[in-house]
Parts: sequence; C-alpha cells; structure tokens
Amino acid sequence: MQAYLLNLGVLISIYSILAITLNFIMGYAGIFSLAHAVFFGVGAYTGALVAMSLSASIFVTVPIAMVVAGVLSLALALPALRVRGEYFVAASLGLQVLAVTVFSEWKSVTGGIGGLIGIPPVDLVGYQIYRPAAFFPLSLAVLVLVLVATRLLVHSSFGRSLTAIRDSESAAESFGKNVPLIKTISVVISAALAAIAGVLYAHYLAFINVESFTLDTSVLVMAMVIIGGTGTAAGPVVGAALLLLLPGLLSYMSFLPQTQIGAIQQIIYGLGMAVLMIFRPGGLVGRSKAKARTRPKDPDTEAQAPASRPAEAAR
Amino acid sequence: MTASAATNAAARPVEAPEVLLEIRNLEKHFGGVHAVSNVSMDLRAGIVTTLVGPNGAGKTTLFNLITGHLVRSGGSLRWLGRDIAGMKPYRIARLGIARTFQDLRLFNDMTVEENILTVMEPGALPFSLSGPSAREKRAKVEHVMERTDLIDKAHVRAIDLAYAERKFLSLARIMAADARLWLLDEPASGLDPNSYETFLRLLREEVAAGVTVCIIEHNLDIVVGISDRIAFLDRGRLLADGEPKSVLENPELTAIYFGDRA
Repeated sequence: MQAYLLNLGVLISIYSILAITLNFIMGYAGIFSLAHAVFFGVGAYTGALVAMSLSASIFVTVPIAMVVAGVLSLALALPALRVRGEYFVAASLGLQVLAVTVFSEWKSVTGGIGGLIGIPPVDLVGYQIYRPAAFFPLSLAVLVLVLVATRLLVHSSFGRSLTAIRDSESAAESFGKNVPLIKTISVVISAALAAIAGVLYAHYLAFINVESFTLDTSVLVMAMVIIGGTGTAAGPVVGAALLLLLPGLLSYMSFLPQTQIGAIQQIIYGLGMAVLMIFRPGGLVGRSKAKARTRPKDPDTEAQAPASRPAEAAR
Repeated sequence: MTASAATNAAARPVEAPEVLLEIRNLEKHFGGVHAVSNVSMDLRAGIVTTLVGPNGAGKTTLFNLITGHLVRSGGSLRWLGRDIAGMKPYRIARLGIARTFQDLRLFNDMTVEENILTVMEPGALPFSLSGPSAREKRAKVEHVMERTDLIDKAHVRAIDLAYAERKFLSLARIMAADARLWLLDEPASGLDPNSYETFLRLLREEVAAGVTVCIIEHNLDIVVGISDRIAFLDRGRLLADGEPKSVLENPELTAIYFGDRA
C-alpha cells in the first residue's frame, strides 16, 4: 500500500511538472501546444542516454536534457509563432506526430518500439536514488523548484510581457514588445523545464519507450491544466493529482463493475470535463463562472468604428 | 486662441518647429479600396494635430501605417529623417512613437498597476540589467496613477474597471511609455463632462511638457479647444490641412463632415 502511494506521489510530481510547464505557455502566453509530450520524451531519452553513456548524476543529465529540449523546441517556435494561435495548435500537432515517428523508428538511438532498458538510477551527489521512498522526496523537491521558478518568471517583467501579449498582441507591440522573440523564449523555457520531468521519469522507471510520449500524453497534460485552472499557480498540480488519482479511486468503488472500469473512467472524464467547462470554465482553481464571464478577449470590439476593422483584418 | 495653443505658440521659435514625422504620398490599398491615398503631411514637435473626417475616412488606417501595424502600399514615412516604412511595430514604438486604440486594447487580465508597469519594460529578458530600477519604475507608476485618478484602483484588473477608468488607463499607459509622439485614437469619446475636463487638463499638461500629439477626434469642442492644426481626411484623401478656423469654416468640408454630401 505504501509503495503504491509513493509510486502515485512520484507520478503526480512528474506530471505536475509537465502541467506547470505547459500552463506557463498556455496560461500566460496564450500558446496552446499539443506537443508537450515531445519535450517530455526528448528529456527522457536524452537523460537516459546520458545516464547510460556518460554520467547518471542529476547535475549532468538534467542540464543536458534541458538544453537539448530547449534547442529542439526552436524547431516548433521559430516557424510556428509567426502564425496566429489556431495555426500554432496545428503546427504543434504536426510536431507531435513527427516526434512519435522519430521516437519509434530511430532505433539506434531510441531503441525503437522496444525502447531503452536498463537506465541507471539517478545519482545525487554519490547517492543512488531508486527506491520509491527516496525517489518521492526527490521528485517533490524538483516539483517545488520548477513551481518556484515559473512563479518567479510569471511575476517578473518577462511574465508581464507574456500576459500583455496574451491579452492584446497589437497593444503589446505598440509598446515596444518584440512579440515573436518573447513567445519563442517562453516556448524554450517551457520545453526545457518539461525535459526535467522526462529525466526523472526515465530514471524512475529505468525503462522508457515511445508509448509514454504520444499525443495521448500531450492531451492528458493539457486536460490537467484546463481542469485544474489555466493561468493559475496551483491549478496544474490539482489537475495532475486529480487525473492520476481518479483511476485508483474508481477501482476502490466496489459497486462498479470492475471489468468495465476503463470505459467508466472515460465516461467520467468526458462528463466531468464537459460539466466543469459549463460551470467553471476557469478550472477548479480558476475564477468562478460569474467572474470568468466578464473576461472576453477584447470587450470593446463592438464599440469599434468600421474604419479600424479592415485594418485589423488585414494584419 | 486656447490656453494650450497659446503655450505652444509661446514655446515655439520663430521658424517652424522641427519635423518629427514626415509623411509623403502615403498610400494604402485594401484590394481595390483606397483607404489612404496620396497623403502628405508633417507632424512637427509640440504641435497638436487633429485628424477629422467621417467614419471610414482613413484616419485609423493612417495611424496603423505610422505605427507599422499596416504596411504601406506606397509613399514614405520618415521619423527624424529616418525611413521607418516597413519597420516592425515594436521597433517603431521604441523610436518614441506611442499610440492608443479606439477599442483601448488594455491588458485586461492584468491590474492597473501591471498595465502601466509593463509598458515601461519592453525588453525580452526576464530580469532587466539596465534601465530604471524597480523602485524608480514603481514611483513612476504611482505618479501616473495619481495623475489619472487611478491610484485607488491600482490592484483592480483592467477588465473590472468602469468605462471612463478604462479610458484613463489607456492614457496612463501611454504616459508611462515616454514617447515623443502620441497618436490618440478617439481618446475622449464616451467620457462624461467631468472626466472630459480631466482628460483635457492632462493632455494640456503633457503637451506643455513637450509631447507632440496627433488625435483622431469627432468632438469638435476638443478639436477647436486643443488643436493647433486640423487635417481633414475623406475617403483616404487629405482635403485640408491648416489652422483650425480655416478648416472648420470651409463650407465644403463641413458639408462632407455633417453628411450633406452633394
């Protein structure tokens, strides 16, 4: 039982890091990415390969994984951030599909479908950490670090610039903000921090393959952010915990037909999400409906004179 | 002559003041529509210019061309002699041209204080190494909030403000931006008489402090009250450009403006 809870704790920590880093671009920059699992995967593969060939020290694996994921995220950010929001979603979906193919076909590096096995445990200043009782505090500590780092960023001038761009891109650039550069930096930061979750994951399971880094994972992480509360501090953690605890809780409900538990879980997810979005569109931690209603993207547009319409449409 | 025009006249040297922005033969076509056609004018330091004209005359399009939000179809734009046509909006903004929007475009989810603070931080780095210190920035934000009567609303989100307060926040933002040229798109529309007086006072103070202003305005009281010069646009063409009296007393222009189009 204790092992079960510790295992859950580790997974919640890892997925919380993913949700926090996705929330950083979704909630504060308004960038909706369906490729977050790619950077989770890049972090995991990089961490695993470095640990197997160079060093399993967390101070080696994590920085290298962060740099690799950050650099690769430029492949998404540079071309895609020049287009409008909805196109970015499509571009990120494309990257996700592409990455899954690479993960499963580049056999010499990723081990193909079979994945990488025998990843050494993480090394923290000489101590090998593999037992869940030791790994859980480590993952929790990393989660706290990532949470603090993103909070500091959100409340820095950079965070204000991000929010300003999300609220009104044209006004932000009218006040000197280099919108593509700021968005690109935010995507790189998000990807690099997501890679940390990947490194932890690889060490913890000692085995990784492409199945952990598919579109399903990207969608799951996005669901965690939305359910918990986009643009809130605690929301992503709440969302991650809830979505990972739900399967376990359901299996304790003995009145449910246990053979159908998978289907029941999907129905509960679907219904829960729909109901939540109707009554609490800001997520569990977000603002209540009454407040959320008063925040359309640009409430003044109806007051606009026709003269400025073609101007905006032509941009 | 009004107070502001008088102060401008007093501060003005004998020869015409320096040209900040030189617009020559500016063109903008949307498909077959000529939104701006062959417009030439100079915006000179310290001079308050008001753009008037019916809806659809191309006034906002002209602003969008100056700020780089739209790319011109022809003609030239020079800021202090430097060609700025084709520059990105953020680079033009950094040269010292700031604007407000007719639809305000506040940073709705941010507080009043954050709205003002963020325009003082154009850099992309998370923590700026140069520029004003955090304390200096806070002091300036406070000063701007006091002048625009927003000090009590410092921690209110922009979206939750009343209409007039939103208008003043849009002004506060531009006041904090330290720009040399302000392009104001209908800044006074919808203000009650009290707020309107406050707005006029603020604008006069800023002009006296050296800001050059170009306003799009329909309210003729404002137009006459604070303008040194009026530019009359209709269907993308600049029909007149001169002293307020001469433009407003031109029967042909007033006929266009008030809708008695022949």
